[in-house]
Amino acid sequence: MKKILVVSLMAIFVFTLFAQHNNKPVLLQVSADPTVSIKIMFFAGSQNDPAGKEGLAYITSQMLSDGSTETNSYETILEKLYPLAAGYNVLPSVETVTFTGRVHKDNIDKYYPLFMDALLRPAFKEEDFNRIKSNTLNYLNTTLKYSSDEELGKAVLYNEIFKGTTYGHIISGTITGINSITIDDIKDFYKKYFNRSNFIPGIGGGFNDQFVTRIQNDLAKLPEGEKVNNPVPVPPKIEGLNVTIVNKPASATAISFGFPIDVLRGHKEWYALAVANSWMGEHRNSSSHLYGVIREARGLNYGDYSYIENFPNGGSRQMPPTNVGRKKQIFEIWIRPVPNETRHFVLRAAIRELQLLVENGLTKEQFELTRNFLFKYILHFAPSSNEQLGYRLDDAFYGISSNHLDIFREALKNMTVEDVNSSIKKYLQFENLQIAFITNEAEQLKEALVKNAESPIEYATPKSEEVYEQDKHIKVFPLEIQEGKVKIVDVEQLFK
Amino acid sequence: MKKYLFGIFLILFATVNLLANDEKVFPYKYISEKLDNGLKIILIPMDSPGLVAYYSIVRTGSRDEWEPGKSGFAHFFEHMMFRGTERFPGSVYDKLVTSIGADANAYTSNDLTVYHLNFASEDLETVMDIESDRFRNLAYDEREFQTESGAVYGEYRKGRTSPFSVAIEKMQDMAFDVHTYKHTTIGFETDIKNMPNQFEYSKSFYQRYYRPENVVLLIVGDIDADKTMDMAAKYYSEWKPGYTSPKIEQEPPQKEARSAEVTYEGRTLPLLLQAYKNDAFDAGNKNYLASMFLADLAFGETSELYQKLFLTEQKVQMLAANPGMSRDAGLFYIYSMVKNPDDIDYVRQEIQKTLEHFKYNKVDEKKLSDLKSNMKYSFLMNLDTPDDVAGGLARFIALTGDINVVDTFYNNLMEITTEDVMKAAQLYFEENRRNEVILKGGK
Repeated sequence: MKKILVVSLMAIFVFTLFAQHNNKPVLLQVSADPTVSIKIMFFAGSQNDPAGKEGLAYITSQMLSDGSTETNSYETILEKLYPLAAGYNVLPSVETVTFTGRVHKDNIDKYYPLFMDALLRPAFKEEDFNRIKSNTLNYLNTTLKYSSDEELGKAVLYNEIFKGTTYGHIISGTITGINSITIDDIKDFYKKYFNRSNFIPGIGGGFNDQFVTRIQNDLAKLPEGEKVNNPVPVPPKIEGLNVTIVNKPASATAISFGFPIDVLRGHKEWYALAVANSWMGEHRNSSSHLYGVIREARGLNYGDYSYIENFPNGGSRQMPPTNVGRKKQIFEIWIRPVPNETRHFVLRAAIRELQLLVENGLTKEQFELTRNFLFKYILHFAPSSNEQLGYRLDDAFYGISSNHLDIFREALKNMTVEDVNSSIKKYLQFENLQIAFITNEAEQLKEALVKNAESPIEYATPKSEEVYEQDKHIKVFPLEIQEGKVKIVDVEQLFK
Repeated sequence: MKKYLFGIFLILFATVNLLANDEKVFPYKYISEKLDNGLKIILIPMDSPGLVAYYSIVRTGSRDEWEPGKSGFAHFFEHMMFRGTERFPGSVYDKLVTSIGADANAYTSNDLTVYHLNFASEDLETVMDIESDRFRNLAYDEREFQTESGAVYGEYRKGRTSPFSVAIEKMQDMAFDVHTYKHTTIGFETDIKNMPNQFEYSKSFYQRYYRPENVVLLIVGDIDADKTMDMAAKYYSEWKPGYTSPKIEQEPPQKEARSAEVTYEGRTLPLLLQAYKNDAFDAGNKNYLASMFLADLAFGETSELYQKLFLTEQKVQMLAANPGMSRDAGLFYIYSMVKNPDDIDYVRQEIQKTLEHFKYNKVDEKKLSDLKSNMKYSFLMNLDTPDDVAGGLARFIALTGDINVVDTFYNNLMEITTEDVMKAAQLYFEENRRNEVILKGGK
């Protein structure tokens, strides 16, 4: 009996096999759903930006969703979609671009031609291009650099970890790249990657069989082309603690750090690692251990979390996003802005917690609590058919033949604390990290880091004895950082 | 590409159709009862896969911070509500919520504080036990209180990097002289810094506002209505009434236009914000209802001004309006982000021309009918989950104390004519109601 159980458990884990996708649609029919969702996932993204044209995938995507078609001007499209309360959007990512829309069943006949027109007959007009280009440059030049230090910190972290690889620039591109893009570049990118062999269609909600045929027939009108199979990037090896300090006027310091990991969803060990990660830093959740240490006990910031999958725009969403899959993920810790004078201390506290996790693993009690939490918490990941469809497409991206969320729950049922601690030992470490600070007075920070100077902390208000006791260890927690591994970058020099 | 109206409209339509059983647009019925202590309980059973949304809606927000030096306190207090009780201390509360895998959080705005949990239906009684306990028996010590103020300050710092936060803080401070809408929900920085010294005040805040007469419990999802109502009576009946109203001064009519410039420390495109004094949310006020249409007709994605400034001339990076939906008279906001500082005057003139146009010209009938259609389908497409439904209803319930008003509200809203829209423009877009803030980057 035991043997059978083991075999059946193994059967639900599929080792990741990329490029398994074909045009067979992913269907999630929910007849009671009054809406229909459509998601067309193309297997190309910012990693396919040509050198010197960084941002091309992003701009091309925006031209599809926010531009005119050969049939209608963008103004006309807006007017036609308006009474339907429906729209279509595009989600460009590193590996994929997902063209997505959702509409009430009553309006599908009016909506669908507009949706398909945007994908099949984009006009790529000069005025649309100018508007989208201007908005993108403004995002890179002002919004990202000045309005959101947290997103900036994450962008810098990813750029550093994947430097020199196809993942080495953010999805929005670079300023030089955006400025060098022409409409012909966009047309070429569209033709090459938005082709009839390079996508998976997904349909969810209250559709019928005829609708599936209709979509398949229409998507066959995409340009001819070949299936794209992007290689898995190999990030440069991280040796020791590497620090990038972005210098800018800042009344608080945002910190992100991490390193690449060699495991993806679908693999049994990923689910064990997910439990460890959830205990350490479940996104925007007070169950996060880091949150308890930095925010709850010390009141130093708004929250502290960890990740084993990319989680863009974490400040504005609670549950994990879909359709941002990556063949190479990182373990990432996100520390929300802390008072500048505590930045060194907080980095120490976070790395110390990571070390404790790596060395000690989870206790049985911590494991049980986290497992029980996740078993029900992941029910909230995809409560609607639209979100479930997003997960199903990701299953196709990751080469998961069944359903990731079902596998997750099944894996939790049978997991042991040993499984979790084994995955921690295998995939997590604390000695080789990329670290990004967004802060002011960068030179002072560099000096303190390189000297491994003590970082005593003074609280404005009393704390528990336990906190004071821990702080004695944290303030001298050794961080060996060589001078040559600390880089100061003025914010104006980013994303050039 | 955004084709959706402000969430506010979703709320309106959603709540309205709960009662529009004749039309059967909204598929769910609700049950509403009031306990002897004044606590209102609204239940909406719906076919959800074993999920329940549990919303405790406190009709107190930053509006209720009427005492000097106490701005931001409602939001701060929201944080304190997670610090536990004698029976379930903070760590025990956290562990319980964690053990049931609940998605639990809270938010505060000008008129409300909402505590919400999404969880599996089998855990309803556990949730009711811990939630009713913290609303009746919150207990925290001074050290926890002071430490939490640090987290609130962290939240302030996090938000402060947005130029919109800076501009809106200035706008509210300038537009209101005596009403508590003068400060934003996060509060003034000086008050946030002083929060650690307000331990005694926090107890008084709890005693005055966290009372059953000032709270509505909304439960949506996979529930048995009768059993749930009995359970609510069991857990909440002992909660003692004793709500004390805040002493909020009425804002006198504004006599002349006001303006200010602010500098943002970092780099940003300039912001031009205008805010006209609007009325309070009132289902019977036709002018107010028409103003809700005006925001979209004049400044939405299909408006002539949007097409001109955003799409054709590309003078702005962003243009939008928000009519506001507040318990007392609030602000009708017009936001624009101008690409070139030299164009600020031009954009202002174009906005002014639009406002004048709406004062003296009726809007196209088709545009109005398209707007009503948009509202209808926005509503229908946002009922996927218990959380969608509860989240959409929460503000409406907070403003009125119940959902009964929505019937009137909806009927009136649907009867708004092009003439009503024009009259509302004439009433609200008067110069002496206008407040303007220009924000420019410091770099």
